[in-house]
Amino acid sequence: MAYLTPGDPKRRLRNIQVAVVAIAVLFGIRLVDLQIVEADAINAKSYANRAVSRILPSLRGPIYDGTGKVLAHTVFKYDVNAAPNIVAPFTRKINGQATTITVDQAATEIANLLGMTQPEVMAKLAGTSKYSQITKGVDAQIYRQIKSLDIPWLFFDPRPARVYPNGAVAGGILGFLDPDGKPLEGIELAQNACLAGKDGEETYEKGVDGIRIPSSAVTTKAAVPGKAIKLTINADLQYFAQQVLTSNVAKLQADWGTAVVVEVKTGKILVAADAPSYDPNQPGKSSVENRGSRVFRTSFEPGSTMKMVTAATAIDTGKVTPETHFIAPFGLTIPNSNGYRVTDSHVHGNDRLTVAGVLRDSSNTGAMQIGNRVPWQTRYTYMQKFGVGSMPGSGFPGESAGLLNTQNTWANDVVKRYVSTFGQGVSVTPLQSAMMYQAVANKGVRLQPQLIDGCVDASGNVSKVTKDKAPVRVVSEATAHSTLDILEKVVEQGGIGKHAAVPGYRVGGKTGTAQIIDPTTGRYGNLHAISFIGVAPIEDPQYVVAVTAYKSRTVSNSLGATPIFKAIMSQVLRTYRVPPSTTKSANIATQW
Amino acid sequence: MSTVRLTQAPRAARQLPARASLRSINLSGLTSSSSSRVVVATITLGAVAIAILQLLLNIATSSSVYELSHLQAEKRDLSTTTQILGQQVDSLASQQNLANAAEKLGMISNANPVFLRLSDERVFGKPKAALTADGRVSRNLVPNSAMTQSSVIADPAATATVAAGSTPNAGAPQALGFVAVKSNVANGSSAVSSVVSTSGGIPASPTH
Repeated sequence: MAYLTPGDPKRRLRNIQVAVVAIAVLFGIRLVDLQIVEADAINAKSYANRAVSRILPSLRGPIYDGTGKVLAHTVFKYDVNAAPNIVAPFTRKINGQATTITVDQAATEIANLLGMTQPEVMAKLAGTSKYSQITKGVDAQIYRQIKSLDIPWLFFDPRPARVYPNGAVAGGILGFLDPDGKPLEGIELAQNACLAGKDGEETYEKGVDGIRIPSSAVTTKAAVPGKAIKLTINADLQYFAQQVLTSNVAKLQADWGTAVVVEVKTGKILVAADAPSYDPNQPGKSSVENRGSRVFRTSFEPGSTMKMVTAATAIDTGKVTPETHFIAPFGLTIPNSNGYRVTDSHVHGNDRLTVAGVLRDSSNTGAMQIGNRVPWQTRYTYMQKFGVGSMPGSGFPGESAGLLNTQNTWANDVVKRYVSTFGQGVSVTPLQSAMMYQAVANKGVRLQPQLIDGCVDASGNVSKVTKDKAPVRVVSEATAHSTLDILEKVVEQGGIGKHAAVPGYRVGGKTGTAQIIDPTTGRYGNLHAISFIGVAPIEDPQYVVAVTAYKSRTVSNSLGATPIFKAIMSQVLRTYRVPPSTTKSANIATQW
Repeated sequence: MSTVRLTQAPRAARQLPARASLRSINLSGLTSSSSSRVVVATITLGAVAIAILQLLLNIATSSSVYELSHLQAEKRDLSTTTQILGQQVDSLASQQNLANAAEKLGMISNANPVFLRLSDERVFGKPKAALTADGRVSRNLVPNSAMTQSSVIADPAATATVAAGSTPNAGAPQALGFVAVKSNVANGSSAVSSVVSTSGGIPASPTH
């Protein structure tokens, strides 16, 4: 039997008090340690476990044509991923009954939707990793179909993708993006500052079930969508021009072709068509050289379309009138050139032609004589004013200035001086050629070509994106008028030019059959760049259409270009409801 | 030891202080009054009410968050639907599809247009049949890989037969040609567009 000894209650009490205080102090220290010393680190660790951060992708701005039609916009495509480490059979309710779906069955379903084979999908599902990409960039329709399979080990990552709903219509102008969304060509590249948006970021805390924790702090930096670019292009006309051009380039067996339509009074480019065209939805299917636009980038010796410049220069300097007489032989030797002889394209005697007649018959020997009336330095200055050798400033990336040799070269090379009167020895792009004719059609004032109307924000405010270039007075209004009268004679009476006539309209224009230097021999080859550039209606010029087929093989002169011109000009006049002409052409003699 | 201090009274003889007389006191002033009970009860009930309210609020918030999550999922789903439909519209509205559809309907672009001058009603150019005109481009030469949908035009002859042999319902469109959606993806499950074409005549307005 044990007996409690009375002991010393006071002592026991004191010991307990000491123990309690000691424990309290320990807890207090730990509390201070947790709440103050390590608080930040613990909070951060805890937040990291709960917080989810994700980038909110911004949508790239659309590209519109001049009428508001969408030429490019951004949609979401989806990467289809799996987590192989949790791949397993699962149950699916079919007609209210839970049915087990095996991995093989699921793989077959996925393969059918993605256009893959079942073994291919199974290979992607093998292993123990947490991530395996089955395919990437499927469109929304397939994404929805796969998602509806409700496979628990499939995951989807949306990512923005660029779509060009009209395919190759204006494809050369629009450009394209690489798979990571980086612009590589065309307007996409040149106007990236306007089109690109700014990505946002969202951070929130989630529970075990993945649902956002109530009242958890959410830090959101809203994504800023890109602005829109509005072009001057008319997509319907562009499609028409590409159809006609592609068809004819194939018939001509030419390397390539271009067609440009410019609004005379504004300089707006309504059509900039290339053949072959390329589809920016699938840039990889086109060769690199066909992915841009030759309208802006490719310069070549224009040939006889430059005779218009020679005639306008001589008229503007008062050296000739449209009816000044010339005797145009079949061939002419350039003085002081060691016998360099220039001939016309067809054999003829000494034709008695006026300036208008020289252009009508596209006589090289006549053009040389007209040009020779003007000091070469003056002609050089006029060529510069017509835009040869200077950037047009359309806003298209990589546009070419063409080539106008230096005055020093001309001073030392008499052949270059002479042949420039009929468009050899200088080079221009199809756009530059069109803008020369725009100048005479616009009462002698050359405008800056406009391809981009501007950058449009969400409120519809339009801001300019190209640097303005002042209009250039190239020739007087009277000279421009006289030059148009001459061009009209080309279409009215010219053996080839008359094929460019549009019934009911006064049309003026000029043929061009330019020789092309063969880079292997350094001499002119047998194939030509055939062109026709025209203006209508002459009484109040509204539109310039410039057509080129490069290295035409079935038709060696501009007879191959006139049908393209006629078709496009007819369509332009119909599209913009230009009424037929009511006046007649000027009464100018073409021969004497 | 004999020297006893006379000043100290004998122990027994010490006079005890007079004991205070006991009296009853009113304890009502010392125990809790009814007003203090009210205060305590109010505080207690208030605290309980606040706790319950907070609980309810948390439940409501949690419920809202789940609802929000559900609505956001619905929004994403609707956005996907919008995108699918938008792409179908884009595809059907592309120049390539419109040109193909127009041609199937017999609207052939004439490569040899003639022009009418209204002022004197004069016709310029010599009309030629569209099918035989020089320079006719009879097929699409401008590629479009984004054209995943194309208009399917009902055979006008079949349409006419059906229209003649049946009495259309009041709400049925007069033209039976329609645009079905042909998808380049397997088992397209999206809604089929029901755009009425004009192969059998101009669709009648539902109102008169």
